[in-house]
Amino acid sequence: MSSGLAILAVDDEPRALTDIKRLLETSASVERVATATSAKEALVFLSGGRYDALFLDVAMPEIEGMALARLLRRFADPPAVVFLTGHPDAAVEAFEVQALDFLVKPVTRERLESALTRVEQHVRGTEAAKGGPSADGSEGAAAGPDVVAVDNPKGGGKRLVRLETISFAQANGDYARIVCEDGRFLLRTPLSQLEKDWGASGFARVHRAYLVNLKHAVELRAQLNGTAVLIMRDDTEIPVARRNVAALRRRLHA
Amino acid sequence: MDQRIPGHPAGVEPVSVHFINNVLAAAASYIEEDPDTARDVLAELGAFLSHRLRGPRTVAPADELEHVGVYLRLEQARFPGRIDAELPAAEDLPAAQLAPGEVQAPLSEALNRWLGQHPGRVRLALRARNGALDLQLDRPDEPGEPGERVRIPLGPTTAEGVA
Repeated sequence: MSSGLAILAVDDEPRALTDIKRLLETSASVERVATATSAKEALVFLSGGRYDALFLDVAMPEIEGMALARLLRRFADPPAVVFLTGHPDAAVEAFEVQALDFLVKPVTRERLESALTRVEQHVRGTEAAKGGPSADGSEGAAAGPDVVAVDNPKGGGKRLVRLETISFAQANGDYARIVCEDGRFLLRTPLSQLEKDWGASGFARVHRAYLVNLKHAVELRAQLNGTAVLIMRDDTEIPVARRNVAALRRRLHA
Repeated sequence: MDQRIPGHPAGVEPVSVHFINNVLAAAASYIEEDPDTARDVLAELGAFLSHRLRGPRTVAPADELEHVGVYLRLEQARFPGRIDAELPAAEDLPAAQLAPGEVQAPLSEALNRWLGQHPGRVRLALRARNGALDLQLDRPDEPGEPGERVRIPLGPTTAEGVA
């Protein structure tokens, strides 16, 4: 990526739009920010210029943000979508339209920068897919989703969880129990599938019943019987099967 | 999938976290260019939350009307120039004991539905009539277009009924 990001912010609330525009403009990774107050206006902007990402309000009159995001999926080279919402729980559709991130208003600078980093990685990944390595020589964005829709025990709906916040997944029949910074949730996907989907995002199968985010691991503690215990940031102890210990040690020391 | 702040009176729509977050986003937007307005929005939000979260009790219609006024000023801060509001005089309101939010909650629901379906300005008029309140919503820029009317009953409530 040779220059800063071009962002189109879309929100029918003018004050919220002013706020996100100002925040975006103060970020070092952003080169230009355009604003639109409706999905229709956003489509006009998109037809006239190239944007790396849309920061898109979920609830808007006429065409909602989610519908616009779904429409963008039909583009040959769609911009990344970051949803803005007043709802702490985003709708499951956000996951279905492969949103890169979702931010709860009012947006903190830290979360905004995190989302912009994702956009940069996404842009680098897209550039790499088009024609080899990116300008700065970095690898493309990791394959796989950035967020996962889990069953929300409160209210029975779906909740979006960012992969980076997940500490580990534990097998629970046909389900996986997801333990993350926001709590514990169930995901109707077997651990074997999650291992394939999340492997590129730093998750490793350390035990028949455990898939672990190695970024959350702080210590590998050997046991006398040849197995080991992986200590997580929150002091949770995850059993490591004997046959996985050597490979895990190599990976952690790499 | 809205999240609500618990502790709301029985039978009254609780405070929407969605609304609170959007008001805070609006307040944040004013901080640099108009700090006085930012401060006013936060003060109004404090008044709004105090009315709704102060615990089980009943309130006089005039207090609930003031609460509706606070709510509308917050919405006007979110959507500058988009909402015109007309409220009845306190002395025109029927005598009743209300749960906090008993008028504001259905009014908010109707206004949000309207804003979600109609672009442009909205004219909101709340009028006392036959022991209840009539809420009228329409588009002042589209005079021929039919508006929407919502009746908000003012039922007597007791302290016991406001859990």
